[in-house]
Amino acid sequence: MMAALSMSGISKAFPGVRALDNVDFDCLPGEVHAICGENGAGKSTLMKILGGSYRPDAGTIRLAGNAVHFSHPRQAAEAGISIIHQELSLLPHRSVAENIFMGREIARHGLLDKAAMRDKAARLLGRVGARIDPQALVSSLSIAMQQLVEIAKALLLDARILVMDEPTAALDERDSRTLLALVETLRRDGVSIVYISHRMPEVMAIADRITILKDGRKVWTRPRDAAPVGEIVRAMVGRDLKDFYPARPASASGQLLLSVEGGANAALRDVAFDVRAGEIVGVAGLEDSGKAALAQALVGDAPFSSGTVTLRGEPVTLRAPRQATAAGIGYLPGDRKREGLALRQSVRDNALLTLRSMAGLFARPQRGAFASDVIDGKLREMDVRAADFGQEVGTLSGGNQQKAIIVRWLAQASDILVFVEPTRGIDIAAKAAIYETMRGFADSGRGIVVVSSDMPELIGIADRILVMHQGRISGALPRDASEEDIMHLALGLADQPHREARA
Amino acid sequence: MTTDVAKPGPARSGLPISILLAGLSIGFFVVVALATGEIAQLSGQGITGLLQRMVALGLVAIGQTFVILVGSIDLSVAALISAVAVLASHIMQGDPAMILPAILLCLGLCLAVGLVNGALVAYGGINPLIATLGTGLIVQGVLAASFGSLQGAVAREFQAIAYGGLLGVPYSLLLLAILSLAAAFVLHRTLFGARIYAVGGNPDGARLAGIRTERVTLSAHVVASLFAGASGLYLAARLQSGTPWVGRDGIYDLESIAVTVIGGTILAGGKGGIAGTLAGVLLFACLDAGFNMLGIDAFLKQVLRGAIVIAAVAVHAVRTKGHVA
Ligand SMILES: Nc1ncnc2c1ncn2[C@@H]1O[C@H](COP(=O)(O)OP(=O)(O)OP(=O)(O)O)[C@@H](O)[C@H]1O
Ligand SMILES: [Mg+2]
Repeated sequence: MMAALSMSGISKAFPGVRALDNVDFDCLPGEVHAICGENGAGKSTLMKILGGSYRPDAGTIRLAGNAVHFSHPRQAAEAGISIIHQELSLLPHRSVAENIFMGREIARHGLLDKAAMRDKAARLLGRVGARIDPQALVSSLSIAMQQLVEIAKALLLDARILVMDEPTAALDERDSRTLLALVETLRRDGVSIVYISHRMPEVMAIADRITILKDGRKVWTRPRDAAPVGEIVRAMVGRDLKDFYPARPASASGQLLLSVEGGANAALRDVAFDVRAGEIVGVAGLEDSGKAALAQALVGDAPFSSGTVTLRGEPVTLRAPRQATAAGIGYLPGDRKREGLALRQSVRDNALLTLRSMAGLFARPQRGAFASDVIDGKLREMDVRAADFGQEVGTLSGGNQQKAIIVRWLAQASDILVFVEPTRGIDIAAKAAIYETMRGFADSGRGIVVVSSDMPELIGIADRILVMHQGRISGALPRDASEEDIMHLALGLADQPHREARA
Repeated sequence: MTTDVAKPGPARSGLPISILLAGLSIGFFVVVALATGEIAQLSGQGITGLLQRMVALGLVAIGQTFVILVGSIDLSVAALISAVAVLASHIMQGDPAMILPAILLCLGLCLAVGLVNGALVAYGGINPLIATLGTGLIVQGVLAASFGSLQGAVAREFQAIAYGGLLGVPYSLLLLAILSLAAAFVLHRTLFGARIYAVGGNPDGARLAGIRTERVTLSAHVVASLFAGASGLYLAARLQSGTPWVGRDGIYDLESIAVTVIGGTILAGGKGGIAGTLAGVLLFACLDAGFNMLGIDAFLKQVLRGAIVIAAVAVHAVRTKGHVA
């Protein structure tokens, strides 16, 4: 069969990095071809070259045998290539329908046909299983919903080649399953799908072939049956990864650190739970369950309007992030671009942000914990990969950006860290490193609250899992809970007293 | 600031900014007129006079709205207004036969300036504040240097734009109304409008969606310059002969930006529209008229205007609980 897409000898260098080095890649009609690789391996860069965002330094792209050269994303789109980019590219102040049709508006003689766009948008949203009003403003949607809008936008084109760059990173279990089912139908329609994900179970479930990139080079391409997970990980990371999740302490957790009683606000009701020293408490739930609102309340970003929070036995008020930081609660937000990073500033400045913001106005900038080599050491310890830590953080691969934020909070002495989707978009080796860091933090007598949509992650890392449904904690599960148990509570199917008795 | 919490969309809460602002402005005007006993101001003629105050600033501000929506800005409009006013009176020299050539030439100048601004910003990657400040200074400099040889006056017939009317409605108001509707139509109903919001809202996303963002930015700059030209022509008609300082004295550059932002268009681009801008212009007109009735002196007037600009933008900030300007 003639490959729908074949890229050969692709190379691309950025200042200070060889992002791609002589990479070959092809995809057949009706095939799902997954690309795996560490953060910064060059996966997104390869796809941006395919999409006409970057021009390759060397190499050729053929579509159904014909050589093509793209100098603008528009040409790639016209050639039947549709890309769901890793970074969201929506217009926050425009409606969902306007976003889906961005750049491809339905118009006659330059006049928009808004009704037709609304109808078609509603149909596309239905196809991705999203219950979203086409007239809603994008800024009012959660990231997961925005991701679904991106997917609908990509489907508009009826592309022959569909690239999905970490489409499920922001999605919960239910939405991910819908997406995978959609990929299945598209494949049956003969669409070639390039699928990039750090979630191994997904890759194993849908890929026909798998290509591994490492440091900009292709390691191998194999059919899925010839690529067990262990081999994939070894090829990606360059070594075996045993003990993906760190061992949990055998002893019971220590003294009470944080306790919330009757916490409520617009998005939450009756929230009550404790965090003990040495404990990692997981928070699970579907997208709209209030799990992120819980994190925001804990860090004073969207505070509780009633209820009490005590920290080490002392009642605290958490009305603003600064109060929370001062009280010793750190926050790792889920949307790193919007809430976490100063994209134009250096990696180092980003890592120092919290430390600096809590310091006195007259602290000496290059002394003590502020010194470049101290923070550089911490960045290296976390394995943040950058050509130079003075580089703009926005040019790092997504996973490395996330690691830079984690360093920020580790640099600040906190008692409790609230992590929201800590490993979103992060490769498997870095995930292991982050889990290790989290466990180390907890073992030093402090506590972690981790909100995640990645159920295997919660099961692997948390000592206890709180499951949320409609703004309430619908149950708490012990550490060896199963995915089914969590889903059961997350969907609100369980009667609560029964579950709590078990926990 | 949220991941999970669905906020009510700001657009949905309360009245649209434009209506709120227009209501407040008119309320202020009426109250002042009643309080000072200047009931004549509330007659048909008084209201027409009030609305006519909007024309010059309104025209520039419509153009400014286009560039701000696309994520750029235009500081060269004041100089361009002066240039057009001077050029129009110089070419006409009182001769009605020269009206059309003068208008065409002036709009040609605006087209050229708009293209230069747009090219510098979109293709040259120069920060729009600097690029348009630069072109503005150049235009202003050339104008001041050559004004000695550019004397003249517009034709009497041309002055009808400022002083004539149809069924009691001045032509200038009709012009503003028609151009406003046209601009609003373009922004909300056409491809070009959709592209402007896309490029202003997320330039990278727009590029990835296949939009040729440079062209959109360039076109928006051309629109802004043409509207500045329209404003310059109107001022020439009103003043009979243009001077190199009409634009600068009217502070049309900064005021057009101020009313646009007051009207709810965000400086970052991608959100806002013509209705809000016109409401901002109406606010300024009502303030001026009201202060005149109250006999407030010129300097205090400036202070009050400044305070009101800040207050108006602050109100948006509170209403949308976010970053406004
Ligand atoms: N615009 C840019 N300027 C400079 N360097 C860049 C740019 N884009 C990417 N890079 C670098 O190229 C390398 C490959 O990045 P790329 O985004 O392709 O990684 P990735 O495999 O998609 O990683 P992730 O899994 O984190 O998304 C990285 O080292 C990155 O820092
Ligand atoms: Mg990537």
